[in-house]
Amino acid sequence: MPPRPKGKPKPKAAAVPVRPALSREFIAGHKRRRIMDAIAELTAEQGYDATKIGDIVRRAGVARKTLYDNFEGKEEVFLAAFDTAVDEALARIEADCAEVEGDWEEKVKAGLASFLRYVAENPALARMCMIEALSATQTATERYEAAMQRFVDLTKRTVPQDDRLPETIEETLVGGVAWIVYQQIRRQEAEKAEDLLPELSEFMLAPFHGAAEAQKQANA
Amino acid sequence: MERLPRGRHGLPREFIAQNQRERLLAALAECLEEKGYDRTTVSAIGKRAGVSKSDFYKQFESKDACFVAAYDDAVERIRAAVLAACAEREDWARGVLAALTALLDLFAAETAQTQLVLVEGLRAGRGVYDRYQVALQSFVPYLTDGAPAPEGGSRPPAATDEAVVGGVASLLARRVLAGETRTMPGLLPEIAEFALTPYLGTTEARRIISGR
Repeated sequence: MPPRPKGKPKPKAAAVPVRPALSREFIAGHKRRRIMDAIAELTAEQGYDATKIGDIVRRAGVARKTLYDNFEGKEEVFLAAFDTAVDEALARIEADCAEVEGDWEEKVKAGLASFLRYVAENPALARMCMIEALSATQTATERYEAAMQRFVDLTKRTVPQDDRLPETIEETLVGGVAWIVYQQIRRQEAEKAEDLLPELSEFMLAPFHGAAEAQKQANA
Repeated sequence: MERLPRGRHGLPREFIAQNQRERLLAALAECLEEKGYDRTTVSAIGKRAGVSKSDFYKQFESKDACFVAAYDDAVERIRAAVLAACAEREDWARGVLAALTALLDLFAAETAQTQLVLVEGLRAGRGVYDRYQVALQSFVPYLTDGAPAPEGGSRPPAATDEAVVGGVASLLARRVLAGETRTMPGLLPEIAEFALTPYLGTTEARRIISGR
């Protein structure tokens, strides 16, 4: 993020505003967002423990007071950023799935593509949510588990329900995808997460209609 | 692990050191199971093991170092069990099945070790999370060596191999967190189907699992 200009703007002679003033709510929301973006970047760079409040306000370009007006402290900033990212990612995935006119296979592929795109476009958030959250705080690890469950539930709603399949199939599939993406992020290649789409589609589709057919689907 | 008798007992120094080391590793795993990584301190580990703080530091530089030693130790025990189980199996699928059976039985029997390996490995943070990744990756060849391709298809891509191992580990970690470590062996048919299907196809995988 480019450094923000500091200091108050000089008073102008003519009292005609150059641009319409931004509403207080807009600015407050924007600052909140900048604080959350800052903690994502910092934890991605140096880990949660090493990230101090001073680092966050400096990176976000806000006053320490602004941070404390919005959040109780570091953990609350982290959790808010985590929840915002997960909500945003899931909302996009659901929207992209809903747009697909085709069958469930197409929906699974669209959802997976949407997830990988989110990771690629938000590498710091992805690292924060999928790696750093696990070791940040007890509450963060609980949120991680809850987020995993939301992805499991979304998968369940998308794939055909087949009593003969293992009851845990969606959990293992989501866990497997998360593991591949985890490694991609650890390799510092989150930006290229979308390259994983063909292989991960095949992996996710395979159990539902036999491996051979899954290959045809993934390559189509 | 048994404490050694106090006072003069004429035991060789190396023997005592080795015994203390093993007690500390076991104590670390127990502390982690009870209170997680952050709240596990060097004093708590020493207290549980019956080893003084200064003796702790003769063995390990830090809590992280003790964690890494305990982690590696546990992974090697698991590896030995898996390798013993799949040795001398007549074919790939039955080898994988035997390895999974042994794995789940060991996990259920050694709950502290299981939590250490499956949960704390990723939670202990930057100093040590490489251990988890390396350990998990090292189990991939046991699944893929000699793996066939499903009838009418080709071998799944490499991501599937890793995702199968990672998916199983993730499922089991979630069961640990749910307090269901002891009942893990009951998951065998489901996990086996998940692991075998990409290589055998659904029908063949189910045939082998039901005939185990």
